[in-house]
Amino acid sequence: MVSTHAHPDHAKAHSAPRPDSELIGLLAEFEDQDALLDACEHARSSGYKKFDAYSPFPVHGIDQAMGIRRTMLPFFVLAIALGAVVLGVGMQWYANRAVFSPLFPGFDFIISGKPLWSLPANIPVAFEVIVLSSCFATFLGMWYLNRLPRLANPLFRIERFKRASDDRFFLMIEKSDPQFDADQTQEQMRGWGAAAVEAVRLDLTDHQIPLGLRRIGLITGLLLLLPPALIYRAQHATNPEPRLHFMPDMDWQYRFGAQNVGPMWYNDRVPQFFFADKSVMRLPVEGTVPRGGLETDIELFRGIKAGSKIPDPSTAPPLPTTPPADEQEAAALALAQAALEPEWVTTFPAALTVDQAMVERGRDRFNIYCVVCHGYAGEGDGLVNERALELAINSPIQKGATTNATWTKAKSFHDPEVAKQPIGRIFDTITNGRSTMGPYGSQISTRDRWAIVLYVKSLQKAWIDPPKPTIPAANVPPGASDARPSNVSPTEGKSDEKTDPPLLDTKGN
Amino acid sequence: MRHKREAKITSPVITLGDDSYRIMSIAGFVGIAGLVLAFVFALVFHSGSAWQRFSYGYLVNFCFYTTISLGALFFVTVHHLNRAGWSVTVRRIAEILAMAIIPMFALFLPILLPLLVGNSDLYVWNQPGWTAAYAGHTLTDLEKLKGAYLSSGFFGIRSVICFAIWSGMALFFFGQSLRQDVSGDPKLTSRMQNWAAPLMIIFALTLVVSSFDWEMSLSPMWFSTMFPVCFFAGAVMSGAAAIALVALLLQRSGRVTDEITVDNIHDLGKLMFSFIVFWGYVEFSQFMLIWYANFPEETFWFKYRTWNSGWMIVSIVLLIGHLFVPFLALLPRTLKRSRKFMIGATVYLLLMHWLDHYWVIMPQIGFDGKDYAPFVFSIVEILSFVGLGGLFVAIFSFIASNRPLVPLRDPRLSEALNYSNT
Repeated sequence: MVSTHAHPDHAKAHSAPRPDSELIGLLAEFEDQDALLDACEHARSSGYKKFDAYSPFPVHGIDQAMGIRRTMLPFFVLAIALGAVVLGVGMQWYANRAVFSPLFPGFDFIISGKPLWSLPANIPVAFEVIVLSSCFATFLGMWYLNRLPRLANPLFRIERFKRASDDRFFLMIEKSDPQFDADQTQEQMRGWGAAAVEAVRLDLTDHQIPLGLRRIGLITGLLLLLPPALIYRAQHATNPEPRLHFMPDMDWQYRFGAQNVGPMWYNDRVPQFFFADKSVMRLPVEGTVPRGGLETDIELFRGIKAGSKIPDPSTAPPLPTTPPADEQEAAALALAQAALEPEWVTTFPAALTVDQAMVERGRDRFNIYCVVCHGYAGEGDGLVNERALELAINSPIQKGATTNATWTKAKSFHDPEVAKQPIGRIFDTITNGRSTMGPYGSQISTRDRWAIVLYVKSLQKAWIDPPKPTIPAANVPPGASDARPSNVSPTEGKSDEKTDPPLLDTKGN
Repeated sequence: MRHKREAKITSPVITLGDDSYRIMSIAGFVGIAGLVLAFVFALVFHSGSAWQRFSYGYLVNFCFYTTISLGALFFVTVHHLNRAGWSVTVRRIAEILAMAIIPMFALFLPILLPLLVGNSDLYVWNQPGWTAAYAGHTLTDLEKLKGAYLSSGFFGIRSVICFAIWSGMALFFFGQSLRQDVSGDPKLTSRMQNWAAPLMIIFALTLVVSSFDWEMSLSPMWFSTMFPVCFFAGAVMSGAAAIALVALLLQRSGRVTDEITVDNIHDLGKLMFSFIVFWGYVEFSQFMLIWYANFPEETFWFKYRTWNSGWMIVSIVLLIGHLFVPFLALLPRTLKRSRKFMIGATVYLLLMHWLDHYWVIMPQIGFDGKDYAPFVFSIVEILSFVGLGGLFVAIFSFIASNRPLVPLRDPRLSEALNYSNT
């Protein structure tokens, strides 16, 4: 049936070419794979170069029959795979901070006691990278070599070609082949045993993407907008519902809290203990010191003069707990407090190099840790301090006048009492805290604390007591009373213009 | 059909024929002489521990030749399991190599018998109270279990069961295949296919048991569940290499020239390649887990093999020679299709497989549970290699004798003859 209606159609097609289509080749149909193999060999021996074979399944020997050279894809994949070795290993080398990089600080984590850079640990990742990139190289390389993806092929418009994926075998010789001659090639194809020969035409009229496809594309494109739209909505809306927990046993794990003492309740039934004494971590062995923890330099680590006597608070008489009633008591208290003070260092410990870099480091740390309460110029006017004072003064308790404000003002470094403190004492204050101020010893390293001390001293030295305003504050033009230390920027200095209500004027306390 | 070869044997010579007797006598003589010389040299060079040295060298080579045979048995079983067509023509060689497992049991007796009379030169667990001495602390449940498992009687029973199963499998496949040569009955193929699946499971289990027994128990407190997989990977690789080598040598002597095509050799090369990669994969997996977990009861095995200067060199040679070199050498298609190259490649791979067993077994010599003895290379191992090799070749030619070296009337013979690696 196929072959009967093929002839007239073909004959008409190329005797009177329609202007709206162009002949691009001839398609021959064969009934079995051997006929196709034979035809391929014939085509090759007849000198044809541009032809292709189509079969429903891979036919062994078709490459030789068609004279196809072996593909270069394996070499391409090998090159990519070797590149992947370098990529996979190099990536881990870089990430493990085996090399210094200004862009990426790296993860210099020691894991299970292995060196930072250890080849065995890198092999699985390198292996996976090789496998993945080889797969991609093979797949995409095959596409590239086969000139895929191709959205349309004139062959798909030929009715009989549909059987190419079922039970028929096809050979197409392209018109662009120098040997091609429509009549002669057709005769040859019949001579090779073709069951039918048909012209393949390229439709020149319709180069548009079909409407259905365009609609599908439009709908897909709109649907693709949905996820970002939903994400956008979720980001800009509040939801009173509690979040979803897909894996509750991962969100609420049964585990021991580090440094805890006590049970882990597995299934809320059985208390589990880690060690016999119910603690979860072991304390350091008695008499041991952690590496780098042997702090023998008392000047450096405590700010106390080496060789001086350190008062022991446990043997001293207890300080009175009630506030001093009169001047005599206050003096006695001051004396008792002074007796508890060790002999602070007044110069920087020998282990430190006092230079400009240390001042800069001190400013850096100061602006991170101290400035929130003490202010940029060290006047005790940091934002936290101001806000806390405001809250304390305006609190209902304060208005009811039953208690004092619960906030002790941050000290100004330019307070004469503070200014004459020895540097060891300042260091001790940072390390252990005083009154409302918490200890920073665990957060700031020793050398950084000394750098902050140095910066505090430089702030004090640069301080010029601003002249008292003699005209009403509101009339002072901005910047007129600015007599700030030179290393404080104008904007920072402006934060304590003396135009505020007196309660925020913390100077002179 | 087009250019199709008929399912007909066209080679002029398809049996060893009278040459089998000649090979048998020469190889047998070389074999016995080699083993005797190995023992003599052990007495001369290792006077204090002659039997131990000889046993270790013997075990290395026994494991080497047995795994070739087991690899061939695996090849036959997996051929039927997959209903493979391409490998029909080389299957008979694999069957003969697999049949060698039966006489291999006799060659196992020099290992088994001393064990049964209480000798502990080879397997240190054969001395009473070894568990406590080796553990050096109160025994854990696992160590008690090991103590019960590793006893000479139970070891003997396990070995006999393993060899019985393998012999049964080899006899079954070889017998059915020979019957088909006469009758050409395709039902025999169906029967072998039906049996291949359960036999494969049993084969896997026995291989695991024997790898634990023969090699891993040399270091009785060490354990690695990856070990049998490594043993298996090496066995299949060497089995494929031996099949290819035998086929190529037979063709060189003018036998089965038409039936075993270059595509068969190419495919065997691909099989070897895949199992080289697999070997590297599982050996690394074994190393990686132990290295990473860093438990002293596991790491000592690798520590000695990588930190001791002599064994470190063997380890590096094994890594490069058993993985990297054959990986690159067997990658190109042209080389796998060159008969001359493949003879060299198969011999090389078999030597590397020998080194693999050497690397696993020999470091244990003189190991007392805590310390290893230093690396000593000895001619005893080489002579046992020659000796057991001679006996193995003699066994092969005895089994092959006048039997055809290619299945004559297999229903898939045509498929194998017309197979092409496009």
